[in-house]
Amino acid sequence: MSQIFYELTVSHFLILAAALFAVGTVGVLMRRNALIVMMSIELMLNAGNLTVLAFARYHGGLAGLEGHALAFVIIAVAAAEAAVGLAIVVAVFRSRRHADIDRLTLLKH
Amino acid sequence: MSVRLATRAIAIMVLALALVGVGASAVAAQPAADPHAGHAHGPGEHGGAQAQPQRAADAGDHAEPVGFQNSRIAALFFWIFAGLTLGGALFVITRKNLIAAVMGMVGTFFALAGLYAMLYAHFLAVIQVLVYAGAIMVLFVFVVMILNRPEDEPWALQGLLGKALAGLAILYLVGRLSGVLWDVKDSPHAAVAAPRPEPVAVSVRGGAAEHPAAAPPAQEDWGSTRAVGRVLFSEYLFPFEAVSLVLLVAVVGGIAVARPHKQDEDRRSDEVSA
Repeated sequence: MSQIFYELTVSHFLILAAALFAVGTVGVLMRRNALIVMMSIELMLNAGNLTVLAFARYHGGLAGLEGHALAFVIIAVAAAEAAVGLAIVVAVFRSRRHADIDRLTLLKH
Repeated sequence: MSVRLATRAIAIMVLALALVGVGASAVAAQPAADPHAGHAHGPGEHGGAQAQPQRAADAGDHAEPVGFQNSRIAALFFWIFAGLTLGGALFVITRKNLIAAVMGMVGTFFALAGLYAMLYAHFLAVIQVLVYAGAIMVLFVFVVMILNRPEDEPWALQGLLGKALAGLAILYLVGRLSGVLWDVKDSPHAAVAAPRPEPVAVSVRGGAAEHPAAAPPAQEDWGSTRAVGRVLFSEYLFPFEAVSLVLLVAVVGGIAVARPHKQDEDRRSDEVSA
């Protein structure tokens, strides 16, 4: 039983990634500030990356390195997403004077 | 209040940074570990043995496989990094102060970089710190500064704890950096980092099987910049270039969206006059 604590397996990393993803999901759902929501999205992307890298380590070899290439692409796309998303937040703030996603209901109906 | 929270977040970040440094030292101090050693403990035991038959034969006894993942120090570091990651993430989604949230995010990213290093993804650990903790978080801080009105109280560390932590952080960073710069010449790690002559399967026939990327990376090279770069620039060159296009489009789109438009200014002047 105590082996769980000192013998690391791939499951440790996967469960941690799942927990991190859950925290990010809670942040997206519960917070109203658009910036916190974007940070939570970044948390979820990082959880996905951690999963990819855990499986890459687990698989090893050349296929694992391909997983590293995938994680690299994910990081780059996350950077692009952050740039565009923050630009949208800035634009919304400029026209509305707030960034409260509960009050952005223009497209609701 | 908010400044104190931000100070705490910075303390978390510095602690994570220190742990990353100590963890990296621990990894470097380990004997050349086998990236495939985790197979023996994982659920896919036989799969790993099939994939690397000669390596499994070299390992000899399967009872006690050597490797970083099986040492208790590594487990300790895993739990520390896991706690920092989850604690930082919870910090992010519970803070009212946006700067504190961003700082918690940076701490989370440092801890994640440590976890990546534990998974032998050294290149991606560095990329994580550079791109996420560096570039993306700076972007977030800029937007927070644009969106938030400036605080009345100046940005200063308050209280004895904050000052002590800041002093310790500065001392640690200076000591660490000078330590690195001091023994950079005869560092044993330099021998590891130096490029080794590796057989690259350059073929005149040019079949897919003789692709240079198909050469299995050296054992201790796995996850390094060299190994990842070889995969990235040979087999995955098109996704790599596509990512550059995505980034270009994101830059142009970001500027186009965030640029002050003419009608916005007109509307605002109307609101002001009305």
